[in-house]
Amino acid sequence: MTGAGGVMGSTIPSQGSRAGSNPSTALHDLHLVPISRVDAKTLIVRNHYAHSLPGGTKMSFGTVLNNRLLGVMTFGVGPFYGYKLVNHATPDDVVTLTRLWLSDELPKNCESKVLGIALRSLKRDTSLKFVLAYSDPAVGHLGIIYQATNWHYTGLSSAVPLYDIGDGTLHHSRSLAQQLGSHSIRYLTLQGINAKAVPQSAKHRYIYFLDDSWQSRLAVPVLPYPKKEREINGNN
Amino acid sequence: MEIIELPIEALKEAVWNVNQVDEAMMQRLRVSIGKYGLVQNLVVRQIANDYEVLSGNHRLRLLHELLIKKVPCVVVDVDDAHARLLAQALNHVHGDDDLGLRAELIREVMQVLPEEEVLAVLPDTMDGLKGMANLGQETMTGYLQNWEKARAARLRNLLFKLTSDQLQTVEAAVAQILPQARLQQGINPNARGTALYLICKSFVDKENKHDH
Repeated sequence: MTGAGGVMGSTIPSQGSRAGSNPSTALHDLHLVPISRVDAKTLIVRNHYAHSLPGGTKMSFGTVLNNRLLGVMTFGVGPFYGYKLVNHATPDDVVTLTRLWLSDELPKNCESKVLGIALRSLKRDTSLKFVLAYSDPAVGHLGIIYQATNWHYTGLSSAVPLYDIGDGTLHHSRSLAQQLGSHSIRYLTLQGINAKAVPQSAKHRYIYFLDDSWQSRLAVPVLPYPKKEREINGNN
Repeated sequence: MEIIELPIEALKEAVWNVNQVDEAMMQRLRVSIGKYGLVQNLVVRQIANDYEVLSGNHRLRLLHELLIKKVPCVVVDVDDAHARLLAQALNHVHGDDDLGLRAELIREVMQVLPEEEVLAVLPDTMDGLKGMANLGQETMTGYLQNWEKARAARLRNLLFKLTSDQLQTVEAAVAQILPQARLQQGINPNARGTALYLICKSFVDKENKHDH
């Protein structure tokens, strides 16, 4: 499936294998409900390819079909300076789609339906102005779902490194700063901690405006959607 | 497969059993057996004149407590390796609840039975159980409107990174102005936050006065 922020969905290759005896009926019955962070985490850890829910989760929604909870979507703080993609925006104007998992039991094309419901709800019931999402090309994700739902593509994000402090875990700069007060290599080295920055791959970055009047504030150019290599080279 | 009733004295816990339960979980098992009886047979294998329990070691302890004399058991004929493998399989090979369906089931149960009775048997917390029962009951609109209200009311955090020496100075300044801050808190329930605000305001006012 699809996802964002290191996010990506777990099984893009399996999209074609989705079941559903009557897809149109199934899509009609599909709806979103708010779920607790605990329930979201349970399902994400169990089913999403990343098997983790990032910190800073602000909202969690479940995808329900025939009373079954068959998908999860979470929105959170995302990259610290994400809001700066839009002129005069503040961190309160944006959320980042951080995880999206949908069961293979759901019919084809339900990703765009589910994402559409969530975006319409955010547009109608919140004062948020835009949403960010990321797709990781390192695991073969281009962000097809965002392309299908008319997000703006803004290129590859600058990759934020993770930090290795020798405890067997790679730390996000934010969690390291929370844990040790800083993620400055210089500061940590002075404290006798052998810290190393581990480079990460850049991710495709998409933006969706919930408030259309904010589109003109976009501070970066909109670029053509990235395509699979074979699409670029023609149909062979 | 053979199911027979065996005398409890012949049943021995497997010394290699790795599955552990705490007292809270034992109590739930105790309540469940007290309420519904022993509804799952123990799985055992014969070793000399005794029977080693592959599945049901915790239940066996409770059956002793309850002074049960005869225990229905499934007897399997397996070697050591397969005994361990079967025990692991019995403990770990199972499905996962669909949370949506579980929520519906919990709601049905809680409409009939009091929370205390449900919590006495299930390994959920009160909050967890209520949360599960509420899953899917709130509309997106209601949830997001509440989220907006909470967001608007949220006090903002400012995080500063200070050395120990710098922190001492900041703490001394905050402590000095704290009594005044307590009198001027306004709608901010956080006196230390107000203290920091007053220090900053005093600085800004002084700077502005100096500029003029």
